[in-house]
Amino acid sequence: MDKVAIVGFYQVKPGLDLMMSPYEMLFEATRGALDHAGLKRDDLSTVIGCNNDYYDGKTISNCFKVEAGGAYMKDESKVEMDGAHAVMYGLMRILSGNHKLAMVYGISAPSCFPYESVRILETDPTFDRPINLLNGYTAGGMQMRAYLNAFGLSEEDIAKVAVYNLKNAAKNPLAIPEAQKTNITVDEVLNSEMLSAPLKKLMYPILCDGVTALILAPERQARKITDKPVWITGVGHFNDTYYLGDRDLSSCSSMEKAAEKAYKIAGINNPKSEINVAELFGHTACEDLILAEAAGLADKGKGLSLIDTGKLNPSGGTMAGYTPAANGLTRIVEAVKQIRGEAEGHQISGANKAIASGQVGFCAQNNIVYVLEGGE
Amino acid sequence: MPLPEYIKKDYKRTRTMKGSWYLTSYKYKFNLSRIKEYLKGLKNGILLGLKCRSCNTVSFPPRLICGRCLVKPDQWVRLPETASIATGSANYDEEDKKREHPFPVIAVRQDGADTALIHNISDDVDFNSIYIGMPLKVVWAKERNGLYLDIDHYEPIEDPAIELNKKEGSVD
Repeated sequence: MDKVAIVGFYQVKPGLDLMMSPYEMLFEATRGALDHAGLKRDDLSTVIGCNNDYYDGKTISNCFKVEAGGAYMKDESKVEMDGAHAVMYGLMRILSGNHKLAMVYGISAPSCFPYESVRILETDPTFDRPINLLNGYTAGGMQMRAYLNAFGLSEEDIAKVAVYNLKNAAKNPLAIPEAQKTNITVDEVLNSEMLSAPLKKLMYPILCDGVTALILAPERQARKITDKPVWITGVGHFNDTYYLGDRDLSSCSSMEKAAEKAYKIAGINNPKSEINVAELFGHTACEDLILAEAAGLADKGKGLSLIDTGKLNPSGGTMAGYTPAANGLTRIVEAVKQIRGEAEGHQISGANKAIASGQVGFCAQNNIVYVLEGGE
Repeated sequence: MPLPEYIKKDYKRTRTMKGSWYLTSYKYKFNLSRIKEYLKGLKNGILLGLKCRSCNTVSFPPRLICGRCLVKPDQWVRLPETASIATGSANYDEEDKKREHPFPVIAVRQDGADTALIHNISDDVDFNSIYIGMPLKVVWAKERNGLYLDIDHYEPIEDPAIELNKKEGSVD
């Protein structure tokens, strides 16, 4: 694979209900990413956005984001999945040789739309909707029970992951204040409101408004733009079957395949020892473990050991603030910060090889994994 | 080619599901303090456009972001009450069929601005008589509240120069 680097990034500090329109949030992110890389808007050759018509309450939601996204008179396109998929689109455009610099952003403002209702529209109208019980919470609950049962774990183990994530979020300056819990205990998590047994409220992330943007550049340009380029050395993307009942929810086959492919491209033989940081997009604290195990960072059912090493989601993961459509991008940006040594407060020392993932669908149906590396 | 019998049969068996679309629960955020000057101006009968210092484009109504330069324009400029038609069409709604002539829909470019807005023209104007570049003038709403519709509609005028001179108080 030719080398493509992430040369600039910016994440707007998320919030439950930001005092600005999504239009302005996007402007702050794209302007911020350009300023971070020291580039002008004219330097961009393509802009890839990740936003969703259902999230925005507007059809062809990207047409409204042209000015703020920096896409005026540019070759602009949109991905309606996760921000991490938009990076793939930008990456492909650069690797095709037709484009040089690509701006990629992901945006949504859950303070303006009913996120859980939109998730219900994701369900199958013939088989799932008549029963009207499948939604983001129940899917998370079923997945968690399947995982606990398969490996003989207890709810406490997942509560430990939630505590770990929330404590990490407290160290992350870009986490929402509601998720920054320094003194949280396992009991507090276990005693929090029940969402869908055995899933508790504090094992589920908090929805918030947010935007993340980053800039991709091919090797020659990247070396000119920055002293600290972070290279995308591998990528894998796989899709599992749509119906929950057709999958083994205690593991994640699409993540396994995606990680395997990404490692193969990047030349990584032993992910357990070679990967320093993993920023994974899991919908629940339990899913974080499932994805980490599927990515080969720990043996099946032994994911909990990762929280002792600290390399899983040092930023707090999605528990630090769940911004639909921007989640995967935020994970990538956090991994990039770790590699550049710029993660204030939650820096893992000596991080040089990281993975970041994005997903869409119930119980992580579709996964995309990036291997990111620093240095030459 | 006629459809085979088995497809017809399957089609009859196909059922539709009721869906619900929670449109009312959508909100659209806009921070009005960003266009405070514009709204205050409208209340006082003053038209303000927003100028990008980088490319000198004046937008009216104000645009929060200049797409060309990717900056937030911040220079308010006063615009005259005269305007011209950028383009126009006519509305053939069911209700409008009772009218003598279809209702014109016009894009108006305020003099001194580079962007146009969709607005109303006086009720009695025949849409066949409008043309691109036709001079217009702002007609204010009876009661101004500092809102977008403080400009009630636009009316055709003879010559923008005469209107401007009237405003200055000189004799034409």
